[in-house]
Amino acid sequence: MKVKVAVVGLGKMGLLHASILNVLDDVKLAAVCEKSPLIRRFSKRIIPGIAVVADVKELSGAGLDAVYVTTPAPSHFPITKAIYTGGIAQNVFVEKPLASSYIEAEELCNLAISQSSITMVGYNRRFSVTFRKAKQILDEGVLGKPYFFEWYAYSSDFLGGKAESKTTSRGGILSDLGCHVVDLALWFFGQLEVESAEVESLIDAYSEDSVYFSVSTLGGLKGEFRCSWCKENYRMPDIGLVVKASNGTLKVDEDKVELKLIDGSSLLWYKHDLGDAVPFFIGGTDYLREDKFFISSIIDGCNAEPSFYTASKVEEVIDQVKKSGTGCRAR
Amino acid sequence: MSGNRLLLVGDNPFHSISHLSQERATSRENDLANPSHAAELVITSLENGADGFMFTVSETTLSILRIVSKNGEHNQLRLYAIVPYAYEFVRLAVLAGGVPGLAMKLAQQITFSGNFRAIANGVKGVVKADPASLLRSYLLYETYRLKSSAGKKTAIDSIMLHELVTDMALALDMEWLFETHIDFMLSHGIKPGFETRNFAYLVKKFEEWGIDFRKVGIAAPFNSLGFQMCPSREACENALARIPEAEVIAFSILAAGYLKLPDAMEYVVNSPNLNGIAVGVSKENHARETFKLLGEKL
Repeated sequence: MKVKVAVVGLGKMGLLHASILNVLDDVKLAAVCEKSPLIRRFSKRIIPGIAVVADVKELSGAGLDAVYVTTPAPSHFPITKAIYTGGIAQNVFVEKPLASSYIEAEELCNLAISQSSITMVGYNRRFSVTFRKAKQILDEGVLGKPYFFEWYAYSSDFLGGKAESKTTSRGGILSDLGCHVVDLALWFFGQLEVESAEVESLIDAYSEDSVYFSVSTLGGLKGEFRCSWCKENYRMPDIGLVVKASNGTLKVDEDKVELKLIDGSSLLWYKHDLGDAVPFFIGGTDYLREDKFFISSIIDGCNAEPSFYTASKVEEVIDQVKKSGTGCRAR
Repeated sequence: MSGNRLLLVGDNPFHSISHLSQERATSRENDLANPSHAAELVITSLENGADGFMFTVSETTLSILRIVSKNGEHNQLRLYAIVPYAYEFVRLAVLAGGVPGLAMKLAQQITFSGNFRAIANGVKGVVKADPASLLRSYLLYETYRLKSSAGKKTAIDSIMLHELVTDMALALDMEWLFETHIDFMLSHGIKPGFETRNFAYLVKKFEEWGIDFRKVGIAAPFNSLGFQMCPSREACENALARIPEAEVIAFSILAAGYLKLPDAMEYVVNSPNLNGIAVGVSKENHARETFKLLGEKL
């Protein structure tokens, strides 16, 4: 069986997913949808044999099994809604974040349930070998009882950005990079309650450029998050976690996992040690694993994770941060 | 040239890249991004056995190239340039609001370069919606920038397409892009090259498309650990054995710093079809020791 797929939005993430999907044996990349006339015009010549349309409604009747939504974040909700209400495809992958608010995310969850849809959201760090290893260590209880954790998500994407920088299309640092660490935190530690938050606007009065917030879990575990896209020296975005627990400390980032136990022993794994090979490498190893997992879930008729429901919990936390955020300022 | 192996200085440290640790990359001394300091490292490497410089074309590396080229002792410098500087393009696209914004910025840069052939190809590409003309326009622009920085006495051995472009084009079956690059570069007396992290897949596709391996250069990861050798070390080694006629340059021989140089060299010694290697250096003594050792062993 070949899963017939369309990709909506031919920006950086759309091209990445289209490329990966086109090399997977069990996928037929049937169409791409792009609103820019310039990109559409060239796409027809650049990737012959794949239908190019301007509006998601034009995908109706194409017999698609799944659609990838890879447009800017503010359009995820209307496009995904149009896919379901227009009967364009049963199964939907949305690049992170799922929506712009918890209310929107909930509505998409309800639509997905009504269509018995297999859904997934592009929180690709769940497919990173280092974060998987860290989750395994926590689940095995080697660390003992955690009492504090700290997540960070940093990039230099908008360092020195000016007012005309296109930050709004990416929805602020929390919806852009910070949502990855919120998703990982929910995966690692369960439900989170935001206790306090500070949101800083550096580029203009409306941009959310730097965010700090503290949380607690239902079990009383305390944690903090620090996110910024105006941080110096981050050529590539970087996210990571430190967990302090009764038996020691766990540190994990995109490259390695370090475990230091109170008995003085320590262990270090680089991604080289954790089986990071993939059949085709583009943009990192996580993306191929992520796409393969979504496609296999469709073929096997199983739920995929992180589903819309799981990702809606990220929106719930982000909404809490925005509501309790203080200390905004514009330079 | 060491034996028949080409030894190239890589530029990753000059762009604050460490594939082993982002933490290490962010904490590295800012000196490495200083073109004068980086040029000293390249010159030290050349004085200790390196044959040339493999680099992504950016303002930083062009500045390094200008300094190294002015040092008259290195007229035989071998240059392997990679275009585009994908990181900068992605950053530009982010700031300009996506691919159309990036296209506008690039069009402005090409126009302001005053390179009439590049401009003419660009106009033709837009009017006729011809991506091959647009690619030629871009390559003319980059070749002009490179030649201006390298000076008249220094020849450019190869211009390679960056791995993001190569691998995306491979995945999307864009045969036209490979043909256009090869034809364009050969017509300018420069070896067309392709940087890839999917070496075995590239070889398979080139065989399908009937591309003559004698005419192209390929840069890809090769190391004893199989790090980033997709889909596997074995598949890449088998593909390498099939194309002895191609110029293949290995990068990531240290598996991004995970392997020690002597261990890494043993793998290269035992891989006769690897025609060259590119290794980044971040300190003076590192540059001296690395290329001396490589020169002795390879």
